[in-house]
Amino acid sequence: MKKECIAMLLAGGQGSRLYVLTGDMAKPAVPFGGKYRIIDFPLSNCANSGIDTVGVLTQYRPLELNSYIGSGQPWDLDVSTGGVHILPPYMGSSGGTWYKGTANAIYQNIGFVDLYDPEYVVILSGDHIYKMDYSKMVARHRDAGAACTISVMEVPWSDAPRFGIMNVDGEDNVTEFQEKPKEPRSNLASMGIYVFSWPVLRRYLTEDEQDAASENDFGKNIIPKMLAAGEKLAAYRFEGYWKDVGTLESLWDANMDMLSPESGLDLMDESWPIFARSVSMPTAFLGRNARVTHSAFNRGSDIEGTVENSVLSQGVNVAEGACVSYSVLLPGVQVEAGACVRYAIVGEGCRIGRNCRVGAAPEDTPPEQWGLTVLAPGCRLAEERIVSPGVMLDRNGEEAAR
Amino acid sequence: MNGLHGIVFCYEKRNNLRELGEVRSAASIPFGGRYRAIDFALSNLVNAGAKDVGVVLHGRYQSLLDHLGTGKNWDLSRRRGGLKILPPFAYTREGGEMAFRGKMEALSNVRSYLSEIRQDYVVLLEGDLVVNLPLADILEEHIRSGADITAVCGNDSFYVENGTYFQLDRDGRISDVLYHLNTPRGNRSLEVYLLSRELLLSLVDECASHDLYSWRRDVMQAKLNTLKIRGYVWGGFAAQIRSVQEYYDRSMQLLEPEIRAELFCPQRPIFAKSADRSSAYLGPEGRCVNSLVADGCCIEGSVEDSILFPGVVVEKGASVRGCVLFKDTAVRRGAALAHVIADKRVEVQPGQTLIGQATYPVVVSKGSRV
Repeated sequence: MKKECIAMLLAGGQGSRLYVLTGDMAKPAVPFGGKYRIIDFPLSNCANSGIDTVGVLTQYRPLELNSYIGSGQPWDLDVSTGGVHILPPYMGSSGGTWYKGTANAIYQNIGFVDLYDPEYVVILSGDHIYKMDYSKMVARHRDAGAACTISVMEVPWSDAPRFGIMNVDGEDNVTEFQEKPKEPRSNLASMGIYVFSWPVLRRYLTEDEQDAASENDFGKNIIPKMLAAGEKLAAYRFEGYWKDVGTLESLWDANMDMLSPESGLDLMDESWPIFARSVSMPTAFLGRNARVTHSAFNRGSDIEGTVENSVLSQGVNVAEGACVSYSVLLPGVQVEAGACVRYAIVGEGCRIGRNCRVGAAPEDTPPEQWGLTVLAPGCRLAEERIVSPGVMLDRNGEEAAR
Repeated sequence: MNGLHGIVFCYEKRNNLRELGEVRSAASIPFGGRYRAIDFALSNLVNAGAKDVGVVLHGRYQSLLDHLGTGKNWDLSRRRGGLKILPPFAYTREGGEMAFRGKMEALSNVRSYLSEIRQDYVVLLEGDLVVNLPLADILEEHIRSGADITAVCGNDSFYVENGTYFQLDRDGRISDVLYHLNTPRGNRSLEVYLLSRELLLSLVDECASHDLYSWRRDVMQAKLNTLKIRGYVWGGFAAQIRSVQEYYDRSMQLLEPEIRAELFCPQRPIFAKSADRSSAYLGPEGRCVNSLVADGCCIEGSVEDSILFPGVVVEKGASVRGCVLFKDTAVRRGAALAHVIADKRVEVQPGQTLIGQATYPVVVSKGSRV
């Protein structure tokens, strides 16, 4: 089945900087924004951009992710001439290996891509929150006649040293790539989203595989090699909200951004919907004494206490006299009477016993001691437990190192 | 193959749904913030292991068809069996324009479908019934008691439009079937009937050959002495959505935690079509108490004792009290609503006031601008 364009979604990362949140699941399966998983964003972007064939490359703890994706029906990707395909590493007659790097992951699935004989392949990663029309990027790639197009966005100059920076000429063609430069010459950061002409990428992947010194990584190896060889690399300027949610702080930030459409992340805007697998739970109930302000909440929830500036996922209960502020509560969290949760990310299914104190506001804490408090999925806190700011607990309620 | 086969009747009947019935049959009336009435019948069946369900339609069923789709949401989209929609394709009486006169006429209209039923037992239900019945237990009870027909009834004599009421004797047998009562008495029938496929087929043929069409008159009353007809008394919540007042009262009952715990018990979840909406949002100055709020609502004003369906907007300074607001209804700045049922996509303009009474709620038609 010939396709003009297919997408390959890199979803194998461990997400080690999300620590206990990714103890049992790959990063793209981490819940976000009350009703989504991170992977809903690239999958929905594909669906909305008219890309109906997506390979999802998984490796680390894929069970949660696999069952979440299922047939792809929530994203309209359950089509017979394409659709969503989970691609784990596999054995061949001469053996097999884990995915050694992002480029190697695609290399190992050249056979899959060839099934669709595409002109273009879009490479996506599973840890970004953004709404993007990939078809515009593919159009830019086609019009520029490029071998590779890299989406970039302007970042504040002070942040530029944290990113892969693209230097471009007057026609926005990439002239130089600097990985985390101390003295950046441009503030155009790579978003880790690429469009390649498939025959060209196929050749570079095969060559890169022969190079024993290569880390088989797109940013570190493939892009520099293409630049060095004089291939045409175009930049595609993206304007809008985009955030890498690879750290606990950025994950928390992005959730808070969701509460304020001024941040640029407007999930209520239905012109570019983000789809999610739906759960069967009744409508959320707000009790007689509930005080909920500047917060998001979801079905299956029963809120009787006080909630401020927080994001509550499905099936979250906040009992009377409990308070939750500046926190992200993942699905099924129970906050019992009198408990207080501040500046925290609370994992799926956690129970916070009566009168517990979890986390604290920065203004109530010496600056060197403050940090987000994080509870691993399934953690159950007995009554009266105090968890200091900046502390992370594993599923047994014991302190885990960051 | 053993098990249950479900038949859900969704044809139009006499009701008092006023504006709410203008655009839909009672089976597709929105209920409880994210459901349609028929979700309950379908979920009850699926939770009892039913894999095949026929839905008998007649009149204003576009909204229902749209809701049912392939049956995927209830796991009823199957290679074999699953959801079968039974429109009145072969219905000839008076040009096919009138709804069926009764269940037996509706069943005889789908006679060829009935003969293909793979299961030994059939449950007949109505699309306007909102309940969470343990149908698997009721089937077990039906088999154990040796009854020919088991009829599920409430333990109340609640008045419902065009209701049927049973007199039960001491050992649970139905001794009389009554309707058109000025003062209801006995047990309110929930119009849920369980019987074997063979008995159903023979009753359908017998009625058709005598031009009899009414289930309650020509079967329940006529066969009281020749068949063993037992009542199964259900003591829990059971609403039959046949009038605006009933709709409103039953909706408001959902604000009681015990009723919700029973109707939405996790052992028997109610499945529904899912709307692709983001989380609900309550703004910095918003206030919302004692209310059910669906996904995608955006509340900046004040909401109390109300049920909000997906995507309802309540702007700053607006107040909503004792209301049921369907999908995408918007209450603009400073508007005040009390005891209002607003259908889908109603827009209440800034500063407007609409006040009904709990005993006579104001109903606003779909898409109106007030």
